[in-house]
Amino acid sequence: MNTALSLAAIAAVCAATALIAINGLRISRTTDDFYVASRTVRPWWNASAIGGEYLSAASFLGVAGLIVLAGQDALWFPIGYTAGYLMLLLFVAAPLRRSGAYTLPDFAQIRLGGRAVRTTTGALVVVVGWLYIVPQLHGAALALGIAAGAPGWVGAGLVMTVVCVTVLSGGMRSITFVQAFQYWLKLVSLAVPLVFVLLRLGATGISPTAEGAAFGPGPATGAGFGLYGTISLILALLLGTLGLPHVLVRFYTNPDGPSARRTTVLVVGLLSLFYLLPIAFGILGRTFATDLPEAGTADATVLLVPERILGGTAGDLLGALVLGGAFASFLSTSSGLVVSVAGVISQGLFRGTVRGFRIATVLSCTVPLALALVSGSNALAGSVGAVFAFTASTLCPLLLLGIWWRGLTSAGAVAGMVTGAIACGTALLSAAAFPDLPPPARDLFSQPAAWTIPLAFAVMVGASRATRARGEEAIDRVMARLHTPES
Amino acid sequence: MTAPAGAQPPPRAKAPDPAANFYVRSLVRSQLRLALSVALGFLVALVGLALLLALWPDIYRLRLFTIPLPWIALGIGVYPLMLATAILFNRAAARNEARYRKIARQ
Repeated sequence: MNTALSLAAIAAVCAATALIAINGLRISRTTDDFYVASRTVRPWWNASAIGGEYLSAASFLGVAGLIVLAGQDALWFPIGYTAGYLMLLLFVAAPLRRSGAYTLPDFAQIRLGGRAVRTTTGALVVVVGWLYIVPQLHGAALALGIAAGAPGWVGAGLVMTVVCVTVLSGGMRSITFVQAFQYWLKLVSLAVPLVFVLLRLGATGISPTAEGAAFGPGPATGAGFGLYGTISLILALLLGTLGLPHVLVRFYTNPDGPSARRTTVLVVGLLSLFYLLPIAFGILGRTFATDLPEAGTADATVLLVPERILGGTAGDLLGALVLGGAFASFLSTSSGLVVSVAGVISQGLFRGTVRGFRIATVLSCTVPLALALVSGSNALAGSVGAVFAFTASTLCPLLLLGIWWRGLTSAGAVAGMVTGAIACGTALLSAAAFPDLPPPARDLFSQPAAWTIPLAFAVMVGASRATRARGEEAIDRVMARLHTPES
Repeated sequence: MTAPAGAQPPPRAKAPDPAANFYVRSLVRSQLRLALSVALGFLVALVGLALLLALWPDIYRLRLFTIPLPWIALGIGVYPLMLATAILFNRAAARNEARYRKIARQ
């Protein structure tokens, strides 16, 4: 790729992000502004912001990369990413907004009472947030390496620095504007190059699918996942979205329950629209980027396809546009995660002051950066899938049972979350530590969601049955608050 | 360990009222029934699609503009289905709430 153009595109995205954030500074003064933008964000803004925040390196680069590697099985990833919002709409959106909580630990405390459940939830939110930032930084390292030959720490460091400055300067309000802008930037930065690529292929009479040969099985290195793997993956993606802290924090910025639902419907639409683009790039990559899997850089498919098909100045310009969109995705997801993790840390350790939020922000930027620098990069879609399995086995049961089941107790919630975290964490770590396990054990450990989610639910229900709940009256009050319409 | 103002529930419901609690419980039940049946229907459709593709390999020979039918179904077809499900659920949930409001006012 053309180095000067690539660096210019990255600089432009970083500058635009910082500029919008600093403009938000003027209107963000109180603690409320910092945390939830004073709850005045309209559904369209909010839905664009959720889309912008959610479409991470795994969506922007990883989906196309996985299609090149694994072929048809990879199409389940974007389906799962989108259907997660359908589950969020069905079970969580309106009640969570009505709970009036700022963060997941707030929700746990309002619903169940007690410090233990609040602390456990807070710790899990921080772990999930940090783990989810790491693949974003790996994506940034890969992109800057491909574009300018820079060593890995440059891309990761750049993203974390911009995020830290953005979040410190404006908090949540400016983040909402930044995220909404970045959804549309990501969409355009894939759509425009795709149109030009298809026009060029049409004009020169080359079939974009190699007369259908692009749809054959994947290269042997990344063959499909099998039936168990596919089902486990779908479960993890469907239910993991329910527990993602940077997604949930967005729901508190809706004015009321019905608008939280409307926002979620819009998000399903925005995601459906977006995923058509990386899928198309993945199919093109199966003809025009077949050498990437062997080099271990399949995730760079989206970045390299425009240049390879168009060539010349047009290829360089459009390649730089895609790179800008990729950086928007690293920046938006990381900043959303930093905001939500910093919110939880500052409430837990610094009594929720603005100064505490700033200290917590610096902390939530440095820890994942350190983790990213010491860990090796995987296929992006795969490592994000592991985080989904972890949230689905810990925070998702708390939300679902907390909202819909009167019998949940605080001891039961803690027991279920701890069991899910240990089971899923151990499985994923052993899969990473022993890659040569025999087939059944390998699948069970590398795709643990299908057994760790039911386990976490079962322990949560069992332990709740064995312990005493709060008084009936308190539960009645909370359930009325979660489920009755506002006016 | 204090949350910012607003995180603590302001007491919306006043004194415990058995009739009000009964209405709330039936609202929760009807919303849960709605959400579960929509989720179940969607899951059955997804799993059915996965099984269909696994058990009927000949489907790959059906192609539209060189694209095999399974790729069209998974890459494009599922998304309008999800959006339609979301819109219909949103309407039904709002209807349940409107019904509750009407009963609770009486």
